[in-house]
Amino acid sequence: MTRTWSRTSRVIAGTATALAVLTACGGGGDDTASKPNGPVTITFWGWAKGSKDVVDAFNASHTDIRVKFEEIPSGTAGGYAKISNAVKAGNAPDLVSIEYSSLPEFVSSGALQDIGDQFTGADRAKLLPQTVELTTLGGKSWAVPFDAAPQAFFYRKDLFARYKLQVPTTWDAFKKAAEQVKKADSKARIATFFPDDPTTFEAMAWQAGAQWFKAENDTWKVDTTDPATAKVTAYWQGLLDAGLVHKNASFSPEWVGSLKNGTTIGYLGASWGAGVLKGNVPELSGKWAVAPVPTWDGKPASGMLGGTSFAVTKDSRQKAAAVAFAEWMSTTEEGVKARIASGTSSAFPAAASLRPVAKKAFDAGYYGGQDIYALFESAGASINPHWSWGPTTGTTNTAIKDGFGKIAQGGPSIADAVKAGHDATVAELTKRGLKVEG
Amino acid sequence: MKARTRAATLLLTPFFVLFTAVMVVPIGYAVWLSLFTEKQSGLGFGGTETVFTGLDNYTAALGDRAFLEGFGVLLGYCLLYIPLLLAGALGLALLLDSALARARRFFQLALFLPHAVPGIIAALIWVYLYTPQLSPVVQAMDAGGVGFDFFSPEGTLPSVVNIALWEWLGYNMVIFYAALQAIDRSVLEAATVDGASAWRIAFAIKVPLVKASLAMVGLFTIIGSLQLFTEPLILNKGTGSAVTSTWTPNMYAYTAAFDRNDYGLAAAASVLLALTAALLSFAVTRLTGRRRTGTANTANEPVTADGPGTAARKEQTA
Repeated sequence: MTRTWSRTSRVIAGTATALAVLTACGGGGDDTASKPNGPVTITFWGWAKGSKDVVDAFNASHTDIRVKFEEIPSGTAGGYAKISNAVKAGNAPDLVSIEYSSLPEFVSSGALQDIGDQFTGADRAKLLPQTVELTTLGGKSWAVPFDAAPQAFFYRKDLFARYKLQVPTTWDAFKKAAEQVKKADSKARIATFFPDDPTTFEAMAWQAGAQWFKAENDTWKVDTTDPATAKVTAYWQGLLDAGLVHKNASFSPEWVGSLKNGTTIGYLGASWGAGVLKGNVPELSGKWAVAPVPTWDGKPASGMLGGTSFAVTKDSRQKAAAVAFAEWMSTTEEGVKARIASGTSSAFPAAASLRPVAKKAFDAGYYGGQDIYALFESAGASINPHWSWGPTTGTTNTAIKDGFGKIAQGGPSIADAVKAGHDATVAELTKRGLKVEG
Repeated sequence: MKARTRAATLLLTPFFVLFTAVMVVPIGYAVWLSLFTEKQSGLGFGGTETVFTGLDNYTAALGDRAFLEGFGVLLGYCLLYIPLLLAGALGLALLLDSALARARRFFQLALFLPHAVPGIIAALIWVYLYTPQLSPVVQAMDAGGVGFDFFSPEGTLPSVVNIALWEWLGYNMVIFYAALQAIDRSVLEAATVDGASAWRIAFAIKVPLVKASLAMVGLFTIIGSLQLFTEPLILNKGTGSAVTSTWTPNMYAYTAAFDRNDYGLAAAASVLLALTAALLSFAVTRLTGRRRTGTANTANEPVTADGPGTAARKEQTA
């Protein structure tokens, strides 16, 4: 008897699962239909620091929406692949974290839904215009921006003092400082070239005024070899050739190790890097400081390195709840406070009015009490607004990363890698049937 | 009779159900996927349309230098890896089998142990040992004046081959050792009585008698090499090494699907790789089949004292 029962129940369970999968595949569109009585449950995938704390705070203060958070690897480390696969398989979460650079790719593959009806103009007006621009594609609104990620230069102020270095404000000065560091300690370098991470390089190109992707009259104009990029390329090639920077994978054990033993005394990152540094080398508390990223002409300028937005997947039937939660994370005091107070995040909110909140919540003791948010504020204002991302970031970045890996003395160069990225991008756009010039 | 048929059906059903579910259907689905491409219009923000494109994905894969270079890498890998593997595993097996060896059980286990470590873990361990600032090995090499950059374009192939050797040497050594153990001891005694040295016995008697095992291991390794994926992927992600995202054909398919969102191209590349593997397997089975009958009839005759059958049989069981 029990046996029959268990077999029957297994069949039922199997059928139910199959049906669930099928309905998940075919679902979508009827998000207004389900207005349940109990709390709505939504699933959220992300990796940004402090996400868990934000979700906990939200669940503690809300009864109508329950958020289930699942941590995934960061986008390029496999998170994006996981999201695309889940969307393809029809079991994607309702809300996902996507960086600005990858948003167009997800939009163009049809993985997301337009949230313009929930995320209104009034909501958008609260956020840094550059981030709104990056999440508005083809006239539609696709994601709720969370943070802006202006570049910043982190440096060991104790070692800068010991080597009698001025904090460089221009790239020329940066190179001179790099030479001085090497002279002072043959093992030490001022910064690191990340061969596994094209995005840091792209932020430099962005800062220099490059425009890799331009959309004009339904045509993509791709140019990764414009003068601005060429300038950045030549500069970094020069640093590499002269051995003035380390070449290590980003956030790798060797990178962290070199921070620990003082053979890397600077880090060209972005606002969120303040939290990352604190988390990776807590023992160096009080020894780090932050400066604006060096610029070409000495006038403030910044690109953006990363930066997270929240998007609703195409099959989600809880769009309203998902957007409500996303907006809570991005535009409310409680949301921002919960994340920063976790101690691991130094995100620079896209919502201008919440920056004082973030500043108050961030324990700047690690930076000797320096007002790093004031610095991010002016850096954020200097983000070059002319950059946009194309719909093939995955292809572009993979090709550049492959090229960066091959860089060798007298062999392939950064310029070769960037050119390979260009060619792969053009080929990919063409294959998808899009019009492209470049 | 009827009961037998029923029993046969009952016993075979699980196999065929699983075979269909996990082999036939996925392959069919991959072939189906490979015939479609997602096309977009305008700037590409209006969603996608899945269009039947026939064999376009296949021509795209075959026309992509990166995909073809992947096969080139595999060829280089086989040329470097297989001789080292066979020589190393056979050498170790001969040592263990020789009269000189002590603590055979211990060495057998110790040499086999790396194989029990999953490929990902093995690759991670080796990445650590390859990383200049972290690795005691690299530091020792630098100090000894034989500096080598394991992540450089010239270093990638040796790096991957080294990991594979570490993982597979012990495993194949066990196969050869078992084959050597199966050799009729009287043959070896006869050789000793005739005054053959240990070297002579090893190379003139033992090695020819385990030739079939050598061929089998060699050919299986070639087929297995087509699947090369885990170790180079770890070297590709997070080390900044010269191992590209399309280094092997398997990685090409992976990157196409998960980094470039091009499932059609990924499916086509996978089908092409599967076809190559199928062709190679077919050739290998034909070749090994012929080779075994060949050795049984001729090669053993002069050496075996107690008739040709014994050694050949032993060899096959090995």
